[in-house]
Amino acid sequence: MSFCKLVGHKDAKLALILNLIDPGIGGVLLVGDKGTGKSTLARAVPRLLPERVPYVEVPLNVTEDALMGSINLEEAIRSGEHIFQPGLLARSQGGVLYIDDVNLLNVDMLNLVLNKHAFGNTTLPGNLIPSNSDFGFSLVASMNPEEGPISPKLIDHFGLCALFQTPANNGEKLRVLRLSSQNDPAEKRFIRFDARLKERIALARKLLKQVEVPAEHRAYAVETCLESGIEGHRGDIALERAARAYAAFCGSSVVTKEHMKKVLPLALVHRRREAGINQEEYQEQELPERENSSQQEQADSNNNETPDRDSGNNCCEAAVKPQSVEGHSKEEVFPVGNPFDVRRLLFQRDWVERCSSGRRTNTRFSGKGGRYVKSVFNSKVNDIAADATLRVAAPWQIQRGRTRNVIVYDEDLRFKQREKKMGHLVIFVVDCSGSMGAKKRMIETKGAVLSLLMDCYHKRDKVSLIAFRKDRAEIILPPTTSVDFASRKLKEVPVGGKTPLSAALFTTSNLIKQIRIKDPLIRFVVAIVSDCRANQGISDMPVREEVSKSAAILRDARNTDFIVVDTEDKSTLMRMDLARSLASELHADYFTTEDLKAEYLAGLVFNRKL
Amino acid sequence: MVFPFTAIVGQEQMKLGLTLNVIDPGIGGLLIMGEKGTGKSTAVRSLAELLPEIGVSRGCAFNCDPDGTALCSICAERVVKEGALKRETKKMRVVELPLGITEDRLVGTLDIEHALKHGEKRFEPGILADANRNFLYVDEVNLLEDHIIDLLLDSAAMGQNSVEREGVSFSHPARFILVGTMNPEEGDLRPQLMDRFGLCVHVESIRDKNLRIEILKRRSRFDDDPDGFFESVQSDQQVLSDEIIRSREHLAKVDFSEEILAKIVGITTEIHVDGHRSDIVILRAAKALASFRGRNNITTRDIGDVVPLALNHRLKRAPFEDAGSGRKKVEELLKRLDQD
Repeated sequence: MSFCKLVGHKDAKLALILNLIDPGIGGVLLVGDKGTGKSTLARAVPRLLPERVPYVEVPLNVTEDALMGSINLEEAIRSGEHIFQPGLLARSQGGVLYIDDVNLLNVDMLNLVLNKHAFGNTTLPGNLIPSNSDFGFSLVASMNPEEGPISPKLIDHFGLCALFQTPANNGEKLRVLRLSSQNDPAEKRFIRFDARLKERIALARKLLKQVEVPAEHRAYAVETCLESGIEGHRGDIALERAARAYAAFCGSSVVTKEHMKKVLPLALVHRRREAGINQEEYQEQELPERENSSQQEQADSNNNETPDRDSGNNCCEAAVKPQSVEGHSKEEVFPVGNPFDVRRLLFQRDWVERCSSGRRTNTRFSGKGGRYVKSVFNSKVNDIAADATLRVAAPWQIQRGRTRNVIVYDEDLRFKQREKKMGHLVIFVVDCSGSMGAKKRMIETKGAVLSLLMDCYHKRDKVSLIAFRKDRAEIILPPTTSVDFASRKLKEVPVGGKTPLSAALFTTSNLIKQIRIKDPLIRFVVAIVSDCRANQGISDMPVREEVSKSAAILRDARNTDFIVVDTEDKSTLMRMDLARSLASELHADYFTTEDLKAEYLAGLVFNRKL
Repeated sequence: MVFPFTAIVGQEQMKLGLTLNVIDPGIGGLLIMGEKGTGKSTAVRSLAELLPEIGVSRGCAFNCDPDGTALCSICAERVVKEGALKRETKKMRVVELPLGITEDRLVGTLDIEHALKHGEKRFEPGILADANRNFLYVDEVNLLEDHIIDLLLDSAAMGQNSVEREGVSFSHPARFILVGTMNPEEGDLRPQLMDRFGLCVHVESIRDKNLRIEILKRRSRFDDDPDGFFESVQSDQQVLSDEIIRSREHLAKVDFSEEILAKIVGITTEIHVDGHRSDIVILRAAKALASFRGRNNITTRDIGDVVPLALNHRLKRAPFEDAGSGRKKVEELLKRLDQD
């Protein structure tokens, strides 16, 4: 595919061109939905490279050896000499290195690539690898955010970032369709375009060093970054370098303000403070809704007072779009109640081998740490069980003609099976609807969640928080090991609006799916903290039915255990025990906030089925 | 080529923390908390670049000091056999600890296949061997597996890595300058582990406009012509390098009065820091700083300058308390220290 033939995506093209002119910009990250042409464009980059300049793609399952190079083992055995086999990074030297789906690449590998890109030579453990080779390459990566998150720290390493969107106007879509079916003759025209562009880039590269950055524009770059509250200094640097490369591309020997402005979005779009943005969006979404919500809340509280409402009534509510009405918001932020010691929660062990740490549940361990439980025939790690191996080999020693050393054949080898404790990823799904505000129940609920969080801290679990209210469920805290941070988030959660339980269940299944792509072995615990009085749907289905269906989907998630903490007030006549039925649908452990406390059920052990 | 250390703008606390550790590695390392893109990694690498070469025992995988007494099992044997060790010089390096590292890659292990097939025990050195007398840089130390951090800090404290596993018994010196970075939002580091880092600094990006422009200017000059840029700061680099060497040699001569000791203990008692490590670290760091400033005695100012670094991460707080309150207390204490 020709580079110029690809319709639209001017930003992305410009970013790629600038990065070719000055690889020191720090690489380009292409972000967009599936099928928007990220990879196609990235794979067209070789058309712009001079001949014999390498273009290397990094496969997702790449190993450290493959990246950094390794000793050619066969040669070493045959000739006894250490011959170095260059890795992908060395092979991309002076050219382009492309990583597709960079958010799915193992984080260690990505760190390696980014480090090499930033510092050239980092020293590697093991002295055999030549440390004088200098890797200079231009880095291109692409990702679809739907597939999973990538840490802001890693994103920050990329100099420029371009967003891919499906073109909104049909004209552009038509052009794409037309061009995709065209055959050879038109292709020639684009090949000419590509060749011209290639020349222009080569010229710009030569001009680059002579391009000057006037002081006032440098100041402009700094001011812009300061104003947008960007962390760190990489933004300033990328912005200046990109503007310079762009000036060179335009054949100008001085950077102008227009050059700066042109590249500004490319250099800063991915660096805006994440937490800050979320906060703003959060508020923005809330403001226009605020008026609507009061009506919902009224409806909600009415419902609470009429226990004999039927589910048919509910489904009507879900289908009807909220109308605007006068009145003020009942939104409130409740303090956190007193935490207590949580009773011991037990989860059955499974037979998956993992390489994780923590203190909750026993697991088979795939590394070399942990307790040696028994010896087995084969293992992925070269963790030989010497005792067992010797025991196997011993009876054959005479037949094998042993003189001094023990003679061990490959088939004698036995490996260690190890066991360790692991932590889980605990996803808290917390009901923040208006009904939770009644009688300050939210204070008690927050206390219960805090208690569970503290338990997670002791067991070294990872935690994540999903809050649901009004018409949506939101991940207010992506998985983290910082329980401290989670408890701060918990404090801030406001209460008000309807109860979109099915949305919460869906969001949870999606989160599990996303995380599993990266870490397929992780054990999840989903802790649903709610009275489960769902009254807001996400489709035209009756709300109850929708909840059952999404519960069924969630239940099928592998390696996942469920806990339902019922926050309903059990002392009144209005109890509906909907949480209990959700618990049975999910095959979950069911607790009221009272049962969670250690003293109530001390000594009583529930062994869960998986 | 790494951006030169002396040309780094601002981040004085981080630079001070690193320099003190280089003068006296016994301080116990530096934990850098803070934002991305603030030159943490650059500072460490460029400081290593600036330092003079070290003499090592030739061919030793553990960089044993031929003049020192702490030797690996192999060098120790060689000394007995040959009387002395042959030497060569090496540049100090920054050894990086990858996040997914396993226990045996860290400490080294018995080369068991070799042992079984040939009947000889052979030790396969790990990363701690590489790190001996170098920098050990752990990016995102809070995301490291617990048992790995335990091991790491243990050998950092002992200055030695002793391996007793699978019948292999081997020990080698592991004296490195441990530099860890973390972004507290991504996860906690247990207080007990935090305490093992001698010093700690918080880094933020610089908000001053003019300084930021200066950063951009220097960066762009460096990128355009690294060699030329290096030349322009060569004399600064040389001065700092000489200063560090001088401070190291001078370190043993720095003395302190009872009064100074009382002040240190007074501070740590007042803010209820657990254990004695903070006292010891403050004293060592103040000593290194006094030596760096060319003095023979520790002054109140030296203490005042190192106390924030030594206490940043040791202030006690309940599991879910905010960190700010303790810091204020330290500031007040320091003010009082100034007045005395």
